[in-house]
Amino acid sequence: MSAKTLRHLIVVGLIVLWELLPRSGMIPELFLPSLSSTLLAGWNEAGEYGHALAVTIYEVAVSMAFACGGGILLGAIVGSLPRPRLLIMPMVSSLYAVPLVILYPVFTVWLGIGSESKIAFASIYGFLPTMLATAAGIQTIDPQLLLAARSMGATLGQRLVRVIIPAAIPTVLSGLRVGGALVIVGVVVSEMLISSAGIGYLISRYRTILDSPHVFAGVLLVLFMAIAFNTAIRWIERRAAIWQTGMRAGQNAADEIGSGAMQPAT
Amino acid sequence: MQPLANVTPLKPPPRAGAIEVRNVGQVFRTRSQDVVALEDVSLDIKPGRFVVLVGPSGCGKSTLLMMMAGLRAQTSGTITINGAPIPQPDPDRVGVVFQEPSLFPWLTAEDNVEFPLALRGVAKAERRAKAQDALKLVGLEGFGKRHPHELSGGMKQRVSIARGLVQDPPVLLMDEPFAALDEQTRMTMGDELLRIWAATGKTVVFVTHSLTEAVYLADEVIVMSPRPGRIVDHLQVSLPRPRTYEMLSGDAFGALRDRIWRHIRKSA
Repeated sequence: MSAKTLRHLIVVGLIVLWELLPRSGMIPELFLPSLSSTLLAGWNEAGEYGHALAVTIYEVAVSMAFACGGGILLGAIVGSLPRPRLLIMPMVSSLYAVPLVILYPVFTVWLGIGSESKIAFASIYGFLPTMLATAAGIQTIDPQLLLAARSMGATLGQRLVRVIIPAAIPTVLSGLRVGGALVIVGVVVSEMLISSAGIGYLISRYRTILDSPHVFAGVLLVLFMAIAFNTAIRWIERRAAIWQTGMRAGQNAADEIGSGAMQPAT
Repeated sequence: MQPLANVTPLKPPPRAGAIEVRNVGQVFRTRSQDVVALEDVSLDIKPGRFVVLVGPSGCGKSTLLMMMAGLRAQTSGTITINGAPIPQPDPDRVGVVFQEPSLFPWLTAEDNVEFPLALRGVAKAERRAKAQDALKLVGLEGFGKRHPHELSGGMKQRVSIARGLVQDPPVLLMDEPFAALDEQTRMTMGDELLRIWAATGKTVVFVTHSLTEAVYLADEVIVMSPRPGRIVDHLQVSLPRPRTYEMLSGDAFGALRDRIWRHIRKSA
């Protein structure tokens, strides 16, 4: 059995358990409502959930634009210039260890309990890993590649577009993966804390009235959002980094070609 | 302008591929002190010659090569290629091959070879045609669509050589191009390089640590001293061409190799 079928089987098994365990009474409905009652609860309030999902997706999209755009831009500057790096990197690194969620109440005071405060919080939350990864990606570019480009007469602009950016893409993408995931976390968490709309708000509200099926319907939606994001990132990674298949593949290919190709071709 | 029929120029115009190094010095300024890397180096390389630079580590032979490539400015003196100075890299005059193949891993072999042409906006069809010719010259016909990670070390270095040759520059500068290869591949690549050199008639300046490689490949071997780098010997290698593996054990070969080794041992 391949790993893939096994993975699928595990997922199917969990789904089946989700339906059977609560239904058989082994787990109280309050802790875990069955899948069918969760889906039903979501279906019955489809309008409410749809609206909440729209709000959350809007906040995630805007935050992601800020976090990724800002992170890549600032990361590129910090990564390529030593002076700002010395200035900013220690601050950013120590900031990374602070649980940024403590800032959220402050943002609600400044920006209100609408989308703005969520966007501000989630943007900062996702910004840091994106920026750190971009800076690292730029810094770790093989200087030999830049020297080679220069020897072929590449101008500074050409080196940026044709060498630095493509060379940094894999690291930047891994930063986007972490940063984007944190943006989703940031939006949902802030909605759950102080809010009046969004999936996180719905989850939080239904929890206070102990309506588990509706809570889990919200949880399912967040889950789907995260999966959709992950799939999108993976698609981009596959498109952008075909060359990243690593050393092992290269070795195999070299063996395959064999020694015949190394004979002088006259 | 009227042709000056009866006037012979004082100096004949240099043929493509001539390299002149005049009193070149290089000083690296560090915070605590100035390090003299090269001192008063003068050198004439005639078109079409295969010249090898050898010397102990840190003798500035790579630095000299980088200055010939326009990748580094000398502190004093002049360097001309085809009679004109080379203040910055000029791929029309000079192709450079480094120790690391320095291929862009996200490009295929042929896109890597086309890279210098793409930089100058050469049309796609012409680029492709030239890249195919260059790949064929280095014996990699049919491997153009592969990415660098799908090629062996020797093949990558061949792509790198093709990239250095694609604009057909009269001069090819090579900075320890085979140092990272295993012995067998290295020998094969040496023969390959001699074949390419004979086919194209380029001036080659080749830096190496290997004395055997130096004598095997060269028309002339330039021996340099450790820091501050100076030229301590300039040997003519009059072994017949094509060079063969049997020559490695011959007396003439051994004598040349010993002479270089004595210089290097003295300075070590």
